[in-house]
Amino acid sequence: MGCLRFLLLLMQKKDSFESLVMEHIRLNGAYWGLTTLDLLHKLDAVDADEVIQWIMSCYHPESGGFGGNVGHDPHVLYTLSAVQVLCLFDRLDVLDVDKVADYVSGLQNEDGSFSGDIWGEVDTRFSYIVICTLALLHHLHKINVQKAVDYIVSCKNLDGGFGAMPGGESHAGQIFCCVGALAITGSLHHIDRDLLGWWLCERQCKEGGLNGRPEKLADVCYSWWVLSSLIMIDRVHWIDKDKLAKFILNCQDKENGGISDRPDNAVDIYHTYFGVAGLSLMEYPGVKPMDPAYALPLDVVNRIFLRKRD
Amino acid sequence: MEQPAAAAVAAEQEGMAQGEDLLHQFERILHHDPLIDEVGFLHPTQFQSLDRSQTGYSTSESHEYTQEYLWCRDHKLAISSEVLPKLYRTARHAYSNSATAKDAALLEPDLMSHSKALLILCPDMLTAWNSRKMVLSVSYDFTKLKDELQLCTLILSYSPKNESTWSHRRWVIKKVSEHHQDMSGLVERESLLVKEIAEKSKMNYRAWRHRCWLISYMTREQVLDELKKSARWNELHVADNCCFHYRRSLLLALLDSHCIEGENSLDFKSEVHLLWKEELRWNEMLIRRYQGRESLWIHRRFLSQWWVEFLLSGEEMECCAAGTSLIDLFLSQEIYLLSDCLNVPADEFGEACIQAELAALYILWISKATP
Ligand SMILES: [Zn+2]
Repeated sequence: MGCLRFLLLLMQKKDSFESLVMEHIRLNGAYWGLTTLDLLHKLDAVDADEVIQWIMSCYHPESGGFGGNVGHDPHVLYTLSAVQVLCLFDRLDVLDVDKVADYVSGLQNEDGSFSGDIWGEVDTRFSYIVICTLALLHHLHKINVQKAVDYIVSCKNLDGGFGAMPGGESHAGQIFCCVGALAITGSLHHIDRDLLGWWLCERQCKEGGLNGRPEKLADVCYSWWVLSSLIMIDRVHWIDKDKLAKFILNCQDKENGGISDRPDNAVDIYHTYFGVAGLSLMEYPGVKPMDPAYALPLDVVNRIFLRKRD
Repeated sequence: MEQPAAAAVAAEQEGMAQGEDLLHQFERILHHDPLIDEVGFLHPTQFQSLDRSQTGYSTSESHEYTQEYLWCRDHKLAISSEVLPKLYRTARHAYSNSATAKDAALLEPDLMSHSKALLILCPDMLTAWNSRKMVLSVSYDFTKLKDELQLCTLILSYSPKNESTWSHRRWVIKKVSEHHQDMSGLVERESLLVKEIAEKSKMNYRAWRHRCWLISYMTREQVLDELKKSARWNELHVADNCCFHYRRSLLLALLDSHCIEGENSLDFKSEVHLLWKEELRWNEMLIRRYQGRESLWIHRRFLSQWWVEFLLSGEEMECCAAGTSLIDLFLSQEIYLLSDCLNVPADEFGEACIQAELAALYILWISKATP
């Protein structure tokens, strides 16, 4: 696959306005890019020490959170990305684990929901992020898991899906977060699998790709959100995987590498990651298998949890 | 070898000076016209075609250089895309300096002005929004918070999906709600804003999420009013699933305990049931009028599922001897709708075919939902 060339190119190009205005989420970009490399067995193409040093320069020792780049305020969105990248390199040892765990767990609200940072915006995505971060750090006990689960369940809609808040419209991205959080906390019994599976399967469009909500166009990134959710609730056999794989491969830029949201659009790192991750979930040859809940390569997740058991 | 290096340094210094000029003018424009309601990032050729005979901000102070790249008239602001990287970098730098300055209180006006310039260029800059929240938190000032909503409105006019801006907007509204009992006027204006944005930005999840979030601040009268007002809008946007979800949220809010508590609770309940029947009838009318629209059928799934559960709960029993027969009656009406949809002759766009498929899926759905 040509993804590698695209990713390496992307790391060089730094001065365009597009890359300038992306600087605030560089930590997310690092997670997307490096996870893609790892899925393609190419993580050794980057200098691990250099990456880790940069990651740690985004760390705020006084709060315990990470910013999206050096000099940016901390937020759970970037804290999870930082933890995930450190997991890729097996370097959680550089973290003050207790401090980071305190930061994310301190954002739990009275009703069990989570704020993304000290300013109080609430979203079910943040529930997933905190739960995933704490699980990777073996610190889930720092939050009230029961309340966190109850809040997520309160965001369930009559169609079986989940939204960003109670009463929010069902959305594949939000569903991934809620199902992922319930999976990690062993609470999948709160889900009506057939009902949610039905909603998720209806996301497959005629051309094989998946959309994120009714009446929307198919988009490569939903390959990941929808597929991973279907795997977690054990209904992935309900969609046509061959057609989906063809759709993703059709979104490749065959000359320069990379994957776009839809066929013939411009490629970007975000959709490259989600395309490769989607292919991984369908056991595409040459791509490492991915864990649907932790959004990391399976061998990385196994390393974290099997070692703990020793 | 020394000369080219010196030339490079000189060029860099000139570039920085130009950047500072630009930022200075940019902030002056923003300061002088707080009512700017549109920003355009124009390609240099487009920018050249603007009428620059008398730009709104031109005073004795204005610089030849910046006039080539910034333009403002009738509350419309244009920036030449050619200078965006330079302007952005300068704004970013100026913002960082004022944000990390020791004597924060003294530099507050600078911080507000630089962060505003920066956010207009890059609204995703979460940290700059946070700096503003910090300043606004010091003491409650309603006028400043209203200006903040104005800034968000401006950015949303060209970046309607920008999450940081929506989030900041909610933060401002929460702040206001801590000091004001009556939120009805503000909530009404917010709802209107989402409606206007939704007209230009289709199926905008973040905009509609904002509107759903507002419901918790609405009175029962307002919820009813929103239901009434949104019906016409939805008829014109039958492919927009978000606007139907909004109606679902409004309907559920009416059933919410805090809305039906009190002495009028019985009246309220029967009012909702009437509304529900009316919604089913309205939705059927739309389904028959607009063939093959997924969002209409999804709305029907919701309405029917809740309705069946309600009939099963037996609350309506007293007016009819057998509750189950009410369900049978309802289901037979739905099957009648299905058979109508199956019998529509095929058309050249394949809409009848999609309609039949959606109708069949709907019946299957309802049969699963009905024990
Ligand atoms: Zn996408």
